Amino acid sequence: MATPRTTAAPPSLWDPVVRITHWGIAVSVLVNAALDEGGSLLHVSLGWLVLALLVLRLVWGVLGPREARFSAFPPNPVAALRHVRQLASGRVRHYPSHNPAGALMAYAFWACLALVTVTGLVMTGGATPMQVADDKAAVASGDWSALIRESEGESSEDGDNSLRHTAEEVHEVVANLLLILAALHVVGVFVEARALRRSLVAPMVLGQRRK
Amino acid sequence: MTAAPDIITAGRRQTAALSIFLVVQTLGTVFFVGDVIGDLRADPMSVHFIFEAVVTAALVLGILFGTFALRRTIELLRAQDQALAVARGALSDVIDRQFQAWALTPAERDVGFLALKGLDVAEIAELRGAAQGTVRAQLTRIYSKAGVSGRAQFAAFFVEDLLGAAVPAAA
Repeated sequence: MATPRTTAAPPSLWDPVVRITHWGIAVSVLVNAALDEGGSLLHVSLGWLVLALLVLRLVWGVLGPREARFSAFPPNPVAALRHVRQLASGRVRHYPSHNPAGALMAYAFWACLALVTVTGLVMTGGATPMQVADDKAAVASGDWSALIRESEGESSEDGDNSLRHTAEEVHEVVANLLLILAALHVVGVFVEARALRRSLVAPMVLGQRRK
Repeated sequence: MTAAPDIITAGRRQTAALSIFLVVQTLGTVFFVGDVIGDLRADPMSVHFIFEAVVTAALVLGILFGTFALRRTIELLRAQDQALAVARGALSDVIDRQFQAWALTPAERDVGFLALKGLDVAEIAELRGAAQGTVRAQLTRIYSKAGVSGRAQFAAFFVEDLLGAAVPAAA
């Protein structure tokens, strides 16, 4: 507790915005990938939530405290490769923010999340969860006009239809890519934590327990 | 000393609450922006659209200001945290130097530190695994080396430095 913070050390506890966006996105992605059905109310709602969390994290990357800002971990594939090589040889440096490999992973995540949410919006025609709920309630009560409106929108313009089709493909592929990245990310965290001999998970949860 | 962790905990709670609020605010804004984009395609000149666009712009600005304020709060808390650590380090440096100047033995230094922390003879004896008589004798030697009358003056020796010369006139 009494050790002064040096600028070279990574944070012993990430700020709340980083932690909330991290876990919010992680849980939402896992639920949307594994538990619920595409196009369901929950799926669309979580998609919007992920979009909001992503936007907030990107704003935080410009306006946030030093180690959360993009300038603290610029995307640098050369440095990332060097870091992975160091990791393999067991000698690793400490970085004030994400390590270069982790930084690259963060940017890959954000790119994939942006693609998944935007293609999701194209697929639903930008329908908010309220509209999805209204449509489902209307169909459930026997008013199928919502379905007709949807299919009309698709058939009226061929270009729109093919755009939705492409969006669907991209949505699927990138969603699977996200899961692969997530698995790699977890492996990376464990390897890095072993090499540094300190927990990388604790700073993302509640920090070190006080003695 | 016990107040310091409480300040940090309170600061953490405050920033966490602000962050959650910011998430909710962002969620609302994202919805509104989506809605405005939808309206833009429908009828960009309607009063409805213009009104909503203004409200949405205000929401976006609110998020930017909220984010900035939160960052300032976090940085302020960290600065306080660091200042506290520096002050602690500085005080223990002062104590170390003074103990050296008084030519205290290593055992006497340990006992002196514990005494400054407010532990009584029995607690110090238990911590050091020594007899209470030994600790009492060590304390007496410390006081005589320091030229103070007893524990109160011994502790006051260091507090006095922190207080500086500001002795208020009796009211």
